[in-house]
Amino acid sequence: MNLEKDLARALRRERPAPGFAGRVMQRIETQPEPRVRPHWWRTIAASLTLTAVLGGWAAHEVYEQRRLEGERARDQVVQALRIANEKVRYAQDEVREIGSTHNE
Amino acid sequence: MTAILSDAVALTGALERAQAGDHDAFAELVNEHEAMVFSLAFHFFGDRTQAEEVAQETFLQLYRSLRSIESPSHLLFWLRQVATRRCIDQVRRTKLRAVPLESVEELYSHEPGADPLRDRKLRELVASLPEAQRIVVTLRYQEDLDPTEICRIVDMPVNTVKSHLHRALQALRRKFQGDPKS
Repeated sequence: MNLEKDLARALRRERPAPGFAGRVMQRIETQPEPRVRPHWWRTIAASLTLTAVLGGWAAHEVYEQRRLEGERARDQVVQALRIANEKVRYAQDEVREIGSTHNE
Repeated sequence: MTAILSDAVALTGALERAQAGDHDAFAELVNEHEAMVFSLAFHFFGDRTQAEEVAQETFLQLYRSLRSIESPSHLLFWLRQVATRRCIDQVRRTKLRAVPLESVEELYSHEPGADPLRDRKLRELVASLPEAQRIVVTLRYQEDLDPTEICRIVDMPVNTVKSHLHRALQALRRKFQGDPKS
């Protein structure tokens, strides 16, 4: 007895009853179209990502604006100090010149 | 060789047309693979009605998943895997056991020199094996697959497949020879 050979013969492929493909096609045609489910979790994830990106961008913009305003204010203070310094030096020179004229 | 090539080309064409929504092309694919899918279920359950139901469900699932199929060989693998899983799921859901095959014997076309009674006895014995052994034996002898191919379909380690096959053959040999211990 060759069991493996006997099994291969006993378990050979068999066709289903005639009209199988037609029965399958009939079931396909009578089935409702699969409803496209909204991927709510994808929508939520996309909204969260967008919110995070926009929030980050807005925060960066505010920070950047404040930094520029700070720099501008610092430049103005430096400029004012420079002008004041020049004025003081000019006044000192004037006083020194007046003093030397009197001494003569 | 030319015939095999032209078959492969025709199948690729039918698959592409079916993926584009052509129902006739899908029916061609069903015709091509119906015997394989139906027989896997039939040899698993030993019942034509259940085999027809599982085979139809397998093709309905294929219709819904058609876009994920990459090639005719992928289609063959996919159908074997889904049909196998559906058989196992079905038997676990309903806790059905195999039924005798007397009612369907006349539907078989007997090969010359074959012993129909012996074949029927063997099919009954296969259908009475534990489910894992049953599916492994069916894939091995119906589909002529080796254990490395079977393990991919049933998602088991190759040694487990070999072990199921070995135990199944031992059990079949014992039962076939009428071992009173079985």
